[in-house]
Order: sequence, then C-alpha cells, then structure tokens
Amino acid sequence: MSEKIYAITLLFVVLWPLFLAVPMLRARLPWPRHLAIIPAAVLTLIFQDVSLDLDWLLLGTRFAIDANARWILTMSVAIWLTAATVNPVSNRATTFFLLTMAGNLGAVLAADLVGFFCFSTIMGYGFYGLLIQGGNMAVRRSGRLYIIFLVAADLALFEALLLAAFATEDLRFVSVQQAMAGSATTSLYFWMALTAFVLRAGIWPFHLWLTSLFKSASLSICLLLVGVPVAMGLVGALRWLPLGLSASVGPGLVILIIGITAIMYAVLRLVSRSTLRMLPGWSTVAATGLFIAALGVGLIQPAVWLQYAYLQYPLLAGMGILLAVMTLIVGRSQDRHSDDDPAMDRVEALSREVAQRGGVMLRWSQNRLHQIRCFWLALWLKTVQQASVVIDRLRTVNVVSQWTASITVFVLIGLALAWLAR
Amino acid sequence: MNWDPWIPLLVVASSLLPGLLIFGLAEERIRLRTVLNLVGAVVKLGLVGLMLWGIYHEHHYETRLALLPDLELVLRAGPLALLFVTLSAGLWLVTTVYAIGYLEGSPHRSRFFGFFSLCVTATVGVALAGNLITFLLFYELLTLSTYPLVVHRGTQAARRAGQTYLIYTFFGGALLLLGTVWLYSLTGTLEFTPRGFIAGLETEHRSALIIIFFLLVAGLGVKAALFPFHGWLPQAMVAPAPVSALLHAVAVVKAGAFGIVRVVYDVFGVETAAALGVTAPLAALAAFTIIYGSLRALFQDDLKRRLAFSTISQVSYIALGVAIAGPIATIGGVVHLVHQGLMKITLFFCAGNLAETLGIHKISEMNGVGRRMPWTMAAFTVGAFGMIGAPPVAGFISKWYLGLGALEADQGWVLFVLAGSSLLNAMYFLPILHRAWFRDPPDAWPVDHHFGRKETAWALLLPPLVTAVMALGVALLASYPFSPLEWAMLIAEREFYRP
Repeated sequence: MSEKIYAITLLFVVLWPLFLAVPMLRARLPWPRHLAIIPAAVLTLIFQDVSLDLDWLLLGTRFAIDANARWILTMSVAIWLTAATVNPVSNRATTFFLLTMAGNLGAVLAADLVGFFCFSTIMGYGFYGLLIQGGNMAVRRSGRLYIIFLVAADLALFEALLLAAFATEDLRFVSVQQAMAGSATTSLYFWMALTAFVLRAGIWPFHLWLTSLFKSASLSICLLLVGVPVAMGLVGALRWLPLGLSASVGPGLVILIIGITAIMYAVLRLVSRSTLRMLPGWSTVAATGLFIAALGVGLIQPAVWLQYAYLQYPLLAGMGILLAVMTLIVGRSQDRHSDDDPAMDRVEALSREVAQRGGVMLRWSQNRLHQIRCFWLALWLKTVQQASVVIDRLRTVNVVSQWTASITVFVLIGLALAWLAR
Repeated sequence: MNWDPWIPLLVVASSLLPGLLIFGLAEERIRLRTVLNLVGAVVKLGLVGLMLWGIYHEHHYETRLALLPDLELVLRAGPLALLFVTLSAGLWLVTTVYAIGYLEGSPHRSRFFGFFSLCVTATVGVALAGNLITFLLFYELLTLSTYPLVVHRGTQAARRAGQTYLIYTFFGGALLLLGTVWLYSLTGTLEFTPRGFIAGLETEHRSALIIIFFLLVAGLGVKAALFPFHGWLPQAMVAPAPVSALLHAVAVVKAGAFGIVRVVYDVFGVETAAALGVTAPLAALAAFTIIYGSLRALFQDDLKRRLAFSTISQVSYIALGVAIAGPIATIGGVVHLVHQGLMKITLFFCAGNLAETLGIHKISEMNGVGRRMPWTMAAFTVGAFGMIGAPPVAGFISKWYLGLGALEADQGWVLFVLAGSSLLNAMYFLPILHRAWFRDPPDAWPVDHHFGRKETAWALLLPPLVTAVMALGVALLASYPFSPLEWAMLIAEREFYRP
C-alpha cells in the first residue's frame, strides 16, 4: 500500500508544479513557488526505491527514484527552494519558474529516455521563458544564444533517441546503455548524445551564454543555471551514454582534451578577470570541464569508471550544491555592493591581502622546511609560490585576459605533444 | 433490420442534408441554421463513433450503389477510411462552432454554411470511397464546394485566389481522371484492395504503370500541395479563418495526402510500387517539399501565409511516410494525417482570433499579444511546439515513427530531413512565440474588440483551446486504445501489411 502511495507521490512531484503553473489555479495560493517543491522535498525524505510504470503515457514512460536519483533530487530541491526565496518574481515569471521546475523534477525522476527527453525539453524552454521574462538586454542576448544551443541540442538528442529506439525496444537507461554498447550505431549515438548534453550544459566551448548569464542575470537565475541546464546536462550524459562498458581510446582522448581545455580556459579566465561576480560562472565551466575529463578517462579506462561509479551522483550533487552556495554568497555580496561600489574594491583588496599573507606564510614554511632539511617539500612550496607570483603578474599586465584562447591552445598543443611523445 | 450497410451513407448524408436545408434558409434564421449545423455535426460524430467501435471489433460497413454498368459508388469503412472520417467529423464540429462565432453579423452566412456542409460531405465521401471512381467523384465535389468558401469575402484578392485555386485543382482533377481511366483500361477494376489491385501487371505494363502512378500522384499532389503544385495554397489564405482551418487541417490538403496513401497502398500496393521504383522519387519529392515549404515559411511576415507554407511542408510528412515503404514509417505518415490536422487547425483558429479581436494579421504586429490574449497564445504555443516536433505534443509522435521507420527501411537520410525541417520549424515559430510572450505590447492594437473580462468571444476561444488540448492529449495518451497512434498501427496491421 505504502509503495503505491510512494509511486503516486512520484507523479505528484511533477504534476503539482505543472498544475500551479496555470496562473488561474494558483491565484489564491500564497507562496506558490515554495508550495510547488513540497512533494519533491517529501520524496527526498523517503529512503525507499520506488518506480512507477506508465505504459499509457507518451510512448510508455517510467518514473523511478533510487539512491542516485535521490542525490540529484536533493540538490534540485535545495536549489529550487533557494531560488524561490532569494528573488521575488512577477506572476508571469512564476509560470515559467514552475514550468521549468516541473520539467526539471520530471527529468530527474524519469527512468527512461523518452521521459527524460520530454521533461528536459519542457525544462529547457521553460527556462528560456524564465530568463527572458524581465531580463535586461544582456540577459536577452544570452538567452538568444541559449535557445539556439537548446534547439540544436534537442535535435541531436532526438536523433540519438531514434538510434536508441532502433537498437532496443526497452528504453530504460540501463537497457539502452547495454544495447548501445554493442550496437552498430554506437559511435553516432554517442556523439549525438554527447553533443546534445555539451550544448545543454554549456560546456566549453559552448559556454558563452552560461558565463554571460552569470554576469548579467539575477541571483535566482544564476542559482538555477547551476541546478537546471548545467546539472541536468551532466545527469543526462551519465544516464544516456554507454560508459564503463567498453573502451574507446580515440573518443576518450578527444573528450579528455576537451575537459582539460575547459578547466584550463576557465581557470585562466578566472585569474585574469577576477571580478567576484564571475567566480561562480568560471567555476561552473571548470567543474563541467572536470566532469568531461572524467568522462574521457572513463572511456579510455572503463574499469576505472566502474570502480568509482558509486561516486558519480553524490559528486555531481555535491558539486552542484557547492556551486550554488558559491553563487549565493557572491550574489548576496553583489546585492550589497554594486560593481562600481568602493566596497567591491574592498573585496578585491581583501583577496589580494589574503594572497600576500599566503605568500608570507609560504616563504616562512619554506624556510622552516629548509631548517628541518625537508628539501623536496620546500622545493614544491617554492614552485607554488613562484606560480602564484606569475599569476599575480599576469593579472597585473592583463596578458591572460587578452590571450586566453591562444594560451589555452598553446598549452593544449604542448599536452598533445607530451602525449604523443609518451 | 441490419443497418450496417447504410451507416456509411448516413455518415455522408448527415452533413449533406443539413447543408441543402441551410441553402434554403433566409439569412436571419440564425438559430435554425445553428441548430442544423450542430445537429448534423453531432449526428455525424455519433455515427462515426459507432463505426469506430464496430471496425475495432471487425464489423464490416459497406454501401454499394450502381453508378454505371460495371462501376459502382462504393462507400466502405475500413480502419484507414475511419481515421480520416473521424478527423473530419471531429474537427467539423469544432470548426462549425468557431465559424458561428467568427461570422457573427457578417453577410451570406447561409451560403457559407451550406457550402461548408457540402465540403465536409465531400471530404467524408473521399475518406469512405471504396474505389477510385467514387474517390474521384467526391474529390471533384470537394473542389466545387470549397471554391465558394475561398471567394466568400468577395474581394479582388479572394476572387484571384479562387481563380488560382480552380485552375490548379481542375488541372489536378484532369490528371487524376486521366490516370484513373488509363488504369481502368489496363485492370478492368478500380476497387481499393489491401496490397493493391495491379499485382501481376508490372512486368507487362511497367512503363504505363509508372506513368499512371505519377499521373495519379500529380493529380493528388495538387490538393496535397506537393511541390511544384503548391502555388494555390498560400494564395487561398485570403479566405476566412474557418475556411483556412478547413482547407489546411481537415479537407482539401488532407484529401490529397489521403489519396496518395490510397494510391500507394490500395491501388498499387506498396511492394509493387517499390518494385516499380516509384516510391523513391515520391520520397525525394516529399523531402524536397518539406524543406522548401519550411524555407519559404521563414520569410513570410503575414501570419496566415507563414502557416500556409508550413502546411505545404508538414503535409508532405504524410507522403514521405508512405513513400519510405515500411510499416513503421507508414504509421508515422498516417498518424500525421490526424496530428497535423489538430495542430494546424489550432494555429489557424488562433490566427483568426488575433485578426478578429485585435486586427493582427502580420507577425511584426504580434509584439506582446500574449499579454492581451494569453489563452489564444497558449493554444498557439502548443500548436507551434507540436509543429517543431517537441514533446509532449502530437508532432513528436509523428516524427518519432517517421524517423524510426526510416531507420527500419535503411533510409537514414530521412533523419537529416526531419532534423532540418524541425530546425526550420523552430526558426519560424520560436520568433513568433518570443514576440508574443516577451516583447512589450504596443500602445494601441490595430483594432480592439472588447468582450468583457474575456480576451475574445467564447465561440472563438473554445475551439483552439479544445484542439490544443487534443494535440497534447493524442501525444500524451498515444499508447491508449483508440488513440490515433494505436489506430494507425491497426491500419498498418490490418490493411497494409497483413500477411
């Protein structure tokens, strides 16, 4: 009996925000955005794996919650609750807010490809509405880029979906992964799906809309950027791609290089243009780069991927929450001090002071290590110190900001040559 | 008494009789005209429901009337016929309600509704036709009954559009007649038969059969607006919105597309057509029309004109599904007959609402219209997303089966056509939605009719909402028995691919 109730709760998690998205139906309800997330919050507290098969819905849709989905759902609930609290939004924006929420929660709970595709499409277009509604010119410009990528991603994902459906009738994630690992169209499927999720999550080099939104959008949108397109793009990749089943060194290498490039690029941009506001944006690009690099490693060494499979979802959820917290802290400080506020200089000055004190600490530690004859550690500390000096100089001369792309490519070539020399 | 043989005839008569009575009504007999219209539509829907149940349980409904020596007027309700009849009957009821609201206070309503009923009679006749000659008769009746609707406004543009429409459709009719007569001279029968009735002739009359196929497809392609016979359709959008809805979603273009399905499956048989090598050029032509229509739509500022080019593109999905020549693609093509109808009628109703309520005809005038008419634009949004093929709207299901069918038939290139078409659909529908929902409205609309607290009249608002919900419903409940998808599967199983 309780299992049936839990199963119905799964459906309610999705239907309730959809219901509240209709303005007429929520007209007399207080706090509709908070109310909408309650069933999902309740579901995170039920530590039981539940599934619901709806053969009559679309082409047969399944919802399920297991330990992995619970991690992502917990992250989503936290982010949605925070986003609902931090910024007041208009009645019209609330509709898009709730539509996006329904799509997001549906995608988290979907246990098959069709359901995921359907809900992530609702989420994607709903999020566009949320972005554009009341956004300034910069947000609208980024929104335009976002929707171009979204349409392209949806097309690629639809083609991947067709390839999967052609390979197997059972479209549950596990079955598809198994079927696609041995399919004649694996390679096409893999690249279609990967491209779609790279576009959706704003992974380098398709990150432009993401970083520019972090720069110009409201705090709640910035929070949702982490929890909606980015997180669901990565979750989609984990669920759709046949990982850990067979080794493919070539594609794995390409993906690894993309991941490393993304990290490097983001770090270089971060150190070169260190406005506090951009910290979450570039951190997100670096985090997604890290994820992609891990994907690449998983493709090259499937055993490694399987060995750490249990960590994927907790890490993803943790990363999402960390980025959201960072966004929140930065956003709050931004709310208190605008960009041209002298207080922002104080933030800058503080970070420089921390760096200087850090340098003093490093030098002191180095001397102490020499005294106790721990030369290797001292040498390592010296390297760190020199690197921080170089970074600080780069910031001063602003070279990195002007040549980020070139430096990234140069380092990449170096990496590729090192790999070949190996 | 067994009524089964008469039910197909009653279905045809249920709109014919009210239509003839309406012609005789004085203009001011509004209530009686409305009652006749609605009673006819409801009776037709009831009869169709009865036949649906019967066909599902393998009942047989057939009316035969002697027409000429050796030629009979045959009305037969098979699964495919019933799919089209259900679409026509269902949307006729909705369109009648819409037309009553749309034409309120305008002149010549008896004439309009008379021809409106005749048009549906002809469409139902086309759907139920059991042989090619019956099909041809109703097909021509459709031309004659829709012409007065196209020119209803009586303006110069309407007359010109009507003239173009007549030239194209008579030309198409002539090709169809030529093909039919030639085919009859070779086969001695015109009876629609599962897997076709020309098997065995393909070696002896190969060239003749290929020419006949293209004559028939060209004749039908005029109404289906296949390239290069599509020129009449964008011009015909000068007609009132209910007529546009009828032309694009229920009657004319659908009759053409339905005819192509009949020719491929019940005249030639898909295996014979493939063996003659005629399905590949048809698929190529359909693919070209899909992309061409979408590209043309991209550059139209007139809303109805953009929708018209979109129809040219979308209807060719049906021809493409049939031409791919495999069971799954056929399901995709056949189900799109219904899905496209629901989505496109929604879009035309919405376009009519914008024109009637706010005087908006152009896309460039649609800034912020979502705030003034949220329900209309919500329905439009559902229709537009359906056209793009986004889930969970009907178009997604059609594209799903077309794509899978293409893979099954080893014709991967179709996936690129589908992707290209979806991309173009997104390119010409999303900017409309962006304008309507996210741009600031102007200080004043071209005209502004007020309807109290409602955004427009109930008779105008309810039909697009109903059809939008249906466009969502047929996708969300696609796996339910009696859903269009399940019915299309039944068609493929019983009629096209029965061993």
